[in-house]
Amino acid sequence: MNKSIIKTENLEKIYGKSKVKTHALKGVNMEIPQGSFSCIIGTSGHGKSTLMHLIGGLDKPTAGKVFIDDVNISDLSDNKLSCLRAKKIGFVFQFFNLLQNLTALENIQTAMMFGRGSPRRQSGFAHERQRALELLELVGLSDKANAKPNEMSGGQQQRVSIARALANDPDILLMDEPTGNLDSKSEKEVLEHIFKIHKTGKTVVIVTHNKELAAQAEMVFEIKDGTLSIT
Amino acid sequence: MNTIKLVCRNLFRRKGRFVFTLLGISIGMASFVALLSLGGSMRGEVTRQAQAMGANFMIMPEDICVFNLIAIVTGETISESLPHEIFERIEVLDGITVIPHLTQKAAVKDVPSVIVGILPEETRSFREWEMEEGEYFAYQDENAVVIGSDFAERRGLNVGDEVTIRNEQFTVKGMLAPNHSNDDMTVFLPLSVAQRLFEKEGVISYMSAKVDDMAKMEQYEAAIVAVANVQVATDEQLLGSVLAILGSVNITLQLVAAVALIAAAFGIINTMMTAVYERRREIGILRAIGGKRRDVFRVFMLESGLYGLFGGIAGVIIGLSAAVFAGEFISQIGANDLLKGASPQAGVDVSVIVTAVLFSLTVSIGAGLYPAWKAAKLTPVEAISYE
Ligand SMILES: Nc1ncnc2c1ncn2[C@@H]1O[C@H](COP(=O)(O)OP(=O)(O)OP(=O)(O)O)[C@@H](O)[C@H]1O
Ligand SMILES: [Mg+2]
Repeated sequence: MNKSIIKTENLEKIYGKSKVKTHALKGVNMEIPQGSFSCIIGTSGHGKSTLMHLIGGLDKPTAGKVFIDDVNISDLSDNKLSCLRAKKIGFVFQFFNLLQNLTALENIQTAMMFGRGSPRRQSGFAHERQRALELLELVGLSDKANAKPNEMSGGQQQRVSIARALANDPDILLMDEPTGNLDSKSEKEVLEHIFKIHKTGKTVVIVTHNKELAAQAEMVFEIKDGTLSIT
Repeated sequence: MNTIKLVCRNLFRRKGRFVFTLLGISIGMASFVALLSLGGSMRGEVTRQAQAMGANFMIMPEDICVFNLIAIVTGETISESLPHEIFERIEVLDGITVIPHLTQKAAVKDVPSVIVGILPEETRSFREWEMEEGEYFAYQDENAVVIGSDFAERRGLNVGDEVTIRNEQFTVKGMLAPNHSNDDMTVFLPLSVAQRLFEKEGVISYMSAKVDDMAKMEQYEAAIVAVANVQVATDEQLLGSVLAILGSVNITLQLVAAVALIAAAFGIINTMMTAVYERRREIGILRAIGGKRRDVFRVFMLESGLYGLFGGIAGVIIGLSAAVFAGEFISQIGANDLLKGASPQAGVDVSVIVTAVLFSLTVSIGAGLYPAWKAAKLTPVEAISYE
């Protein structure tokens, strides 16, 4: 087994400061090997998104630690965390992923703007544009480069989101129900692209309710009421 | 992709809101610019008028109030009056040259006009007038007037034309060369004719005086006050008090403009707060794909800064046009020619433009601070979880 790229230690998350508190995660320990394809499953409201946000550095845990590449990201400053999100991690959410007033191409270029200075990436506007077009080609949307999100179908929008998540060539792709809003045909298309991308060596973590997808994953984590079980 | 492009897309997304917010700041800035440049040209005008009078000082009724000082400078009529014999008493004093004026208002060609009775020869040499056309009148010219060049042009009068003043016929005998004071808009009559015409026999409005030796000004003043119950004001004093009044008028006008601007600033704050609220999801996306707090802050600051820039530029254009238009309008109605100098060249003052745009930028950046800070303060999850 490859070395773990994502690791959590006794991860706890409690929402709410006042009387109403939600104990969303109750000590989660997980390890995800580099280059693996993992699924997180579980009933609604049991903490899947919370876990994704914590391992993606979008939120800070109440207690416990998150390691990305052996770096404890819970200790990082807001700026360092932003850099990490820009360069190491690509996110895809369930819906409204795209900036509505920008075209598909510009959405990808915006992500590149934040990833400048990454050693893996050449910068320069012409180069960025070229690479953004290649990413659109990768998800089969070359013809939609200049389309705004409201001119695309839900599945197409999610494919643009995936292309954008790859903008700065990150190691990790975190997707929170990327196909949750799609019909089965669009879902199949999107999943094909995800598998293709995984084969290029990316570590992929997907939150899903899709049993078939989970069956194809190398690792499946089930979250039940804030605790984790590996199946 | 860069921040500016991102911001411009956001700015023009809601065109209605963009336009109305922009209107708010433009109108605020426009009133500011209009008042500033009108005020500036009023100031310049007063100074020019006073210089054209050619006097060292003015002799006025003792009970004249400070507002009437403006009237003298601007050529308006003043209600208080002096007995003519005071002029004779001062005239004989050594080292002083003095000329009387009777200023009145009457309709000429149905437009209210300023009519001034003067001693023809004395006033001409005192004021160093030149003739543009025709001839100057003499003391005994019972039915002759001399008019200023602007007056001639605006009323369509030529030398030799007849005009009716208070039901009497007069012939335009001559036209003065323009000297850019209110002389250009005045009708002059021999003093005795004016006194009879306006039933002011033995009365004058005020006197202008020159002295041979400015160093002895105080002595002259004492001598004048000794023989007559009058008030003496040097040009500087006169100008000083007029400018003081204009100054306070200016400050009042600028306060009004400042209130308009503050209202506009709240318009920007309101628009930006709404934008932050509406765009939480987008802020979340920006943060999720690696945008830092300062990137979000910059996006919102730039957006409100651009409101200031565009609003400032539009405001300057509207404001200057309004100033020129208002200046024209005020002089058109002819009631007061004080503002006839508010011409375009008086209005277009580069420093006013630069100040206004900078000011507008400052206001909008100030207004953008709080919303931008609010936006930057959102954590990615707070922004993402929002639906
Ligand atoms: N920002 C928040 N503030 C307060 N409580 C929250 C917040 N986000 C999530 N929670 C609570 O934490 C618990 C876990 O939520 P989470 O979104 O992680 O669930 P989930 O497994 O992703 O559900 P779903 O399948 O519906 O997306 C829920 O009880 C939810 O109400
Ligand atoms: Mg969820």
